[in-house]
Amino acid sequence: MSRLKNKTINFKLLILCLSLAFNALSSAGICFAKEFNFEATVDRNKLSLGSSLQLALAFDDVQNMPVPELPAIDGFQARYLGPSTMMSIVNGKSSSSITHNYLLLSTKVGNFKIGPFKIEHSGDRYTSNQLSVEVLAGQVENTSQPGNQAEPLIKDLNDRLFLIIQTKKKSAYLNEIIPLTIKLYINNLGVRDIQYPEFSHEGFSVGRFDKPNQYQEVYKGVNFDVLEFNTSIFGLRPGEFKLGPSNIKCNLIIQKQPRGRSTFNSNIFDDFFGRQEIYPVNLQSGYIALTVLPLPAENRPEDFSGTLGNFNLEVSVSPLEVKVGDPITLTMVVSGEGNLDTVGAPKLKSEAGFKIYEPQIKQAGNQKSFEQIIMPMSAQVKEVPMISLAFFNIQSGEYKTITRGPFPIVIVKPEKEEESKVVENKLPAVVPAVQEEKLGRDIIYIKENCGHLARKGEYLYKNRIFLGLQVIPLLIYLLTFIIYKRQRRFKTDLKYARQLLAPRKARTGIYQAKKYLDKADVDKFYDTLFDTMQEYLGDRLHLPSKGITISVIDEHLGNNVVDAQVLVKLRDIFRDCDMVRYASSQLTGENMRDSLKKLEEVIDYLQRQKI
Amino acid sequence: MKIKSLTSLLVLFIVLSFHSVFAQEAAPNAQGSLFYQANAYYREGKYNVAIKDYKKLIDSGLESGNLYYNLGNSYFKQGQLGLALLNYERAKFFIPQDSDLRSNFEYTLHTLNLEPQSFGSRAQRLVYKLFEAMTLDFLTVFLSIVYVILILFFILNLFSSGIKKVFGVAVSILLTLFILSAVALDGRINYLNKSAIVVSKEADVKFEPFAGATTYFKLNEGSRVEVTDKAESWYKLKRFDGKTGWVDKGALVLISGNPR
Repeated sequence: MSRLKNKTINFKLLILCLSLAFNALSSAGICFAKEFNFEATVDRNKLSLGSSLQLALAFDDVQNMPVPELPAIDGFQARYLGPSTMMSIVNGKSSSSITHNYLLLSTKVGNFKIGPFKIEHSGDRYTSNQLSVEVLAGQVENTSQPGNQAEPLIKDLNDRLFLIIQTKKKSAYLNEIIPLTIKLYINNLGVRDIQYPEFSHEGFSVGRFDKPNQYQEVYKGVNFDVLEFNTSIFGLRPGEFKLGPSNIKCNLIIQKQPRGRSTFNSNIFDDFFGRQEIYPVNLQSGYIALTVLPLPAENRPEDFSGTLGNFNLEVSVSPLEVKVGDPITLTMVVSGEGNLDTVGAPKLKSEAGFKIYEPQIKQAGNQKSFEQIIMPMSAQVKEVPMISLAFFNIQSGEYKTITRGPFPIVIVKPEKEEESKVVENKLPAVVPAVQEEKLGRDIIYIKENCGHLARKGEYLYKNRIFLGLQVIPLLIYLLTFIIYKRQRRFKTDLKYARQLLAPRKARTGIYQAKKYLDKADVDKFYDTLFDTMQEYLGDRLHLPSKGITISVIDEHLGNNVVDAQVLVKLRDIFRDCDMVRYASSQLTGENMRDSLKKLEEVIDYLQRQKI
Repeated sequence: MKIKSLTSLLVLFIVLSFHSVFAQEAAPNAQGSLFYQANAYYREGKYNVAIKDYKKLIDSGLESGNLYYNLGNSYFKQGQLGLALLNYERAKFFIPQDSDLRSNFEYTLHTLNLEPQSFGSRAQRLVYKLFEAMTLDFLTVFLSIVYVILILFFILNLFSSGIKKVFGVAVSILLTLFILSAVALDGRINYLNKSAIVVSKEADVKFEPFAGATTYFKLNEGSRVEVTDKAESWYKLKRFDGKTGWVDKGALVLISGNPR
């Protein structure tokens, strides 16, 4: 019995030891895996269904933290946006943190818990705090800080800022006024510099936009600020048309989200430095289909001139007692609903016996008045004829003609007292009372002669010879100008003048030399030849003529300036000219002709050369 | 010597220019009798027959201010005021200073309840008014003469020191005159070739060139318009206030067109 008792004690000791060993091992395990906390934040904790919030998981004192895989979050769909890192050095000690950002799209209405998130990395465990978020079916009041709005606002902009174009009718008659409204819906956004809408309106005439109305409207369960632009349009031709899309340009004002967690991150500080950003936005609406119906041809009154609407006509005639030729004023007021632009002046059934003037038209509100002057031209006129206004009633879809009158009038004959006044003038009895001269007017009689008959359509401005001749004065001017320029140069530029005169003078000299050749006067021939050559070369080379010698020629025309043959010929001429001084008898007629020919050839050659 | 020959050339130019002017004249004798015959019908009140004879004369390829004037009168007597106005407009190209023509033209406009309609800017209209009294050919010759005198001044300026003193002023005046008369001539040629008169009682001007198109505005008989384009049986026109549209060709007649 005591042995059994000892065995039981030993077993208890064993279990105790085992449990102590297990506890020791367990506590050793805890020492190896560290436990850390990290912060989870959302940019707002209340949002409407379908909208999104931003979740940030911030890990401090961590340099490399891979993207944590989030577990399924009830009521949301998560999408990873990207990391952001921050490094700071305080008192020489550096620290770093990394934040992973997610976009959570709400999928259900209700209160939801986000987190706590548990993440393991490099054997360490990271646990976040828990967040509460409420998802509402309706619109959420803007309770979050303006500084955190910027990016999310841009992302769901189309739900919070949009444009709608609408008309009250989907079909209308030609020229029928159709009210058109363009509404700009704004939900909790700063919008400014809103411009008037523009829209495509092929087939329609569009009026000017009135000053926009501003009010609040609940649209699809959400409260919106609405800016309403109103105008009216009317169809210009029958058919089916698309109206729109309309566009409005405006600027979206968004508070810039501050970076980091500065102590200066106060709203006052932000506002003071204007940390707002302006995003230009061009909003576009959809389009609407409109059918423009033609006016029916059946039962169309003859005097119908396109007036559309439902109108009343009031006519007054004044005065009712006039003389022939005196003016009567017809005041016709058309009032009612419809396109007043299409309302023409009501028409008199007959204009016989009256001279009718164009009416003066005034339009104000739903009323258009016509003031028309008419003059009775005959004493037989007894009444102002019936006045009618035909229009097409859009409501009933029928033509209608309103008539007023006729209006009886009295044409007064001139009183006899007026004639007696003539007698009172004490004019001689033989002088008749001055009758009013009746002036008529007609065209002046035809021409008795046919005048200057010309070929039909042959005007001078089409005449090619005449047009061609117009060039002549211009050519004359150009020619004159060239001559003038040459003359001026001749007078001012001596070198040019000498070069220009050189061949002429040479021709005279050669002519003279030929005369002496015919007379066989050797001395005079060679004298003339020598002078001519000196003169010519002096003029061409712009040198003193008397100083032209064979050495001067070599200096100016040597070195391949001219052909070597020419130089040889010049030397020959110089030699012959020299020879005549000492042995003129040795030079025959043949020599003279040869010298003359050489000189002519030299001059001819030099004339063709640019020296 | 050279100046003399230049002067001779300029004289030759003027002679040739005037020769080309007078070469356009046609022998009126052969057709004269037809004109007098038409006048006789007019006197008898047979305006229809008179119109036929006047038109025969025009169809033979001749025209004159008096001929268009008489044709205009015949149409007026027949009550076809649009056609009367058309022919008065045509006559103005030949006898713009004729007081009878002016009177009849204004009276026809008055009868049609129309005001004289002008096209172009205010400055252009002022220039047209300055040269209104000149015929188209006279204006062409005038422009040519101004041009020749201008060239002559440039030539004389080269050779004569006396001219140099007045050259600047003279050339400025001549250049201004040249530009103004060129603008006037261009306007008159446009007027002749593009202007048209509405001859039907009322013409519907449409947005598009087909019968079923919507009417944009209406034109009364005698209204003057500028034809800017054509398509099949339609003219695209511009009204004096700048409105444009398409009208059936039968509703209007070009001033430079065939007689009607």
